[in-house]
Amino acid sequence: MSFLAPIAFAFAAALPVVVVFYLLKRRRLTRLTSSTVLWQRFLAENQANAPFQKLRKNWLLALQLIALALVVLGLARPYFTGSASPSRLRVLVLDASASMQSTDETPTRFAKAKREALSWIDGLRDGEQGMILLAGAVTEVKQSPTSNKTALRRALESCEPSDGPTRLAEALQTAGAFTFEKRGEEMAVSGEIHLFSDGAATDLGELASKNLPLIYHRIGNRGNNLGIVSLDVRANPENPAERALFVGVSNPTTNIVSTQLELRFNDQVLEIKAITAPATNTLPVVFISKQEIDGLFTVKLLGQDDLAADDQASVYSILPQPVNILLVTRGNRFLEKGLRGAAHARLTVRDSVTETDDQFDLVVLDDILPRAWPKANLLAIRVAPTNWFEQMDSAKAPAIVDWHHTHPLMRYVSFDNVDVAESLLPKLPPWGLSVVQSQQRPMIVAGERDRHRIVWLGFDPLQSNWPLRVSFPIFLANAVEWLNPSLSRSSELMVRAGEPLRWRSRQPVSEAVITPPKGKAIHLSLAPNSQELLYGATQHQGPYQIRTGTNLVTFCVNLLDAEETRTMPQETLPIGKYAGVASNVTQVAGKELWRWLAAFALGVVLFEWWFFHKRTA
Amino acid sequence: MEQPLLDAKLLRRLEQFQLLAARRTKSGTKGERRSRARGQSVEFADFRNYVPGDDLRYLDWNLFGRLDRLFLKLYEEERELPIRIFLDSSESMSFGDPAKFTLARQIAAAIGYVALCGFDRVSVVPFPEPTGNAAARGALRSVRGRKSGLSYLTHLASLQAKGPAAFNDALRRGALEARQTGVAVVLSDFLDPAGYAAGLNALVGRGFQIHALQILSPEELAPTQFGDLRWVDCETGGIQEVTFGKFRLKAYQRTVQNYVQTLKEFCQSRGIAFYSISSAAPLEQVLLKQLRETALWG
Repeated sequence: MSFLAPIAFAFAAALPVVVVFYLLKRRRLTRLTSSTVLWQRFLAENQANAPFQKLRKNWLLALQLIALALVVLGLARPYFTGSASPSRLRVLVLDASASMQSTDETPTRFAKAKREALSWIDGLRDGEQGMILLAGAVTEVKQSPTSNKTALRRALESCEPSDGPTRLAEALQTAGAFTFEKRGEEMAVSGEIHLFSDGAATDLGELASKNLPLIYHRIGNRGNNLGIVSLDVRANPENPAERALFVGVSNPTTNIVSTQLELRFNDQVLEIKAITAPATNTLPVVFISKQEIDGLFTVKLLGQDDLAADDQASVYSILPQPVNILLVTRGNRFLEKGLRGAAHARLTVRDSVTETDDQFDLVVLDDILPRAWPKANLLAIRVAPTNWFEQMDSAKAPAIVDWHHTHPLMRYVSFDNVDVAESLLPKLPPWGLSVVQSQQRPMIVAGERDRHRIVWLGFDPLQSNWPLRVSFPIFLANAVEWLNPSLSRSSELMVRAGEPLRWRSRQPVSEAVITPPKGKAIHLSLAPNSQELLYGATQHQGPYQIRTGTNLVTFCVNLLDAEETRTMPQETLPIGKYAGVASNVTQVAGKELWRWLAAFALGVVLFEWWFFHKRTA
Repeated sequence: MEQPLLDAKLLRRLEQFQLLAARRTKSGTKGERRSRARGQSVEFADFRNYVPGDDLRYLDWNLFGRLDRLFLKLYEEERELPIRIFLDSSESMSFGDPAKFTLARQIAAAIGYVALCGFDRVSVVPFPEPTGNAAARGALRSVRGRKSGLSYLTHLASLQAKGPAAFNDALRRGALEARQTGVAVVLSDFLDPAGYAAGLNALVGRGFQIHALQILSPEELAPTQFGDLRWVDCETGGIQEVTFGKFRLKAYQRTVQNYVQTLKEFCQSRGIAFYSISSAAPLEQVLLKQLRETALWG
């Protein structure tokens, strides 16, 4: 025989307590009597005061002890091993995204979800198993399948929400793998998936599972929220000496909301703007500010709404550093003039590359093959080392069919009416991304290799009419900005909540200390001579600090997710392209009553003891 | 003024009673009791030869005429019966509702009244000796005659129950002090920690005809207090702790019965008449029925 809850044997401590209560000498009442002769004879005949003699032949005490022992045994839930039907598995998926921190439920949606999930765990019948998945930016298995309710409760209590988005598709796919089992040639459903969420997920359309046994428990009752969904800082286009902050404020509600937006720099208030966010729209807000030192810009919505995680966003702004550009060319006035026009550019023109040119931040190779490849970011025109591309073809007058509109290189750049006489057409390498595409192969490739960014052009601009177009100098400016090492380092310092930080140090580091916005510092040990640090505990928004030796770097974690800002609970979850699951507000489940019965029995035993003592008083 | 111990109606009924004496009295005083001593009486007892100096009024002239010899006629002389009442007036007798001492005094009053109406001499020996009421003790030391009945009852009513019993010492002293034996009535609860055997044996040794009346209160027969108790003896100050539950009441009652039975067997083995009564018993029932059953009077 075994026991499901052996910890209940701790209640056996009540057995000696009952006995001790019988033996404890109570306060005696003093009374005057005519003579103690009769009492002395009475005690001599009955020996009533002998130690433990009062327990002899006390059937009431014996019955109480037997009843209490049976209660303790029942609490321990004894069982015999035997054959049983396969147990059903219930997978609990708990949405831990930022929107679940909305306060339209007391105290938060996540807390209510935990309460409902806890009730659901209590409703598990004997033989049923439970499993807990925490769905955030990454799905986490909190508890593997088990019928131990204590373990399930403990795992549930350890769940905490994050400030990041949610990936419900991943969580549901993981849960689905446990709720289907193969029976013969068919896959049969052997469990249920209970999703506790507000439905703020956009990736469920990718879910391909069919007949998913999903039960959706909708959490939340309103969508009163305003949030910051985009944040960027760059030089002011009108005055490069100033900095411009581009903030996107989203209003997912159907009402026009007026509030204030505050801008802080290193915890000093710079400006407060009154804004009116249109309904179901995103309002762009631009702050212009002078910046003299590197620091932290923080924007904050001052109004009160349900979700606070998206009311604040931070970005660490590094002052633009002059970029040293080496142009290796035999004579290209268009190229030279375009590069000089880039912001913060210091251009040096040469006809060859020497070994002492490592101090340059950016090297532009204009169809000149260097003897030694420079260790810097490269803008290579019709030149490439042998290990960059596997195949290289050439085409006459290739047609430009497409270009990558969202890539930073292609901002405000269009290749309409651009004709190229001849171009090299390589096979797309794994390290690169096709920015401008010909019919079959790329003509411009942008990527990163050996920790250096590379922009490769397959054609000579002088063999095209591109230099005559306005997009040519814009492309060069974008390329200089994208290839600027300081700007790339700056872009690394802002990550979305839930995504890992990838930070590169200029010098090898062996250990680092990361200080979250709330919490204790975390010490990390890195590999010897390592210059790259990966940090994944970015569940909470705010500024983090990395300390390596005497170097101190700040990076920011922000939500910046329009879907999470839209906190209106969804009545229906779209599953796949056509299917959907309606919310199930209440779920009928059986609850065990034996605990209450056991408590009642204990109460009866205690009352019986009290009554016994009362009748002797 | 204290309440009278006996009402007038009960006194009139008691006048019809007469103490029963199994033995002939040995008192030297004339009374209405027949004795073995020869004296002046109307009942003939025997003859003896005339001796010069005898009273010539008792010569049997008929016998002289027939035998020509002088003989003197002898008659049974009537003597009084001494009654000695040992009254327990210790502190323990004040317990009970009604108090045990009240019933004890009432019984003593009744016995004394019956004896006085029969021209017997009554002595009341309260123990322990009352320190604050010596006059009452002296007045009760020796009482005789019907006319002394009222003062006897009055002095008896003025006695108080105080102090330790010292049962054995009191009875031994009473046995030694008595110049004449007779009937001894012991009114007590017989709960002296020192026991009762020595005292009763002393009275038996002197030749008293003993009547032992044990008086127990209802509280002593069936206690009504339960729980964890600490009993304090009112006479000795001794302490006895006991956990007494209602389910133990029967066991306690068995203990009391055993105690009474032991006392009864002790008395019977020594020719002592014994009776145990409750202080809550009706007085008339005790006097008119129960004491007659014990052959104290008839």
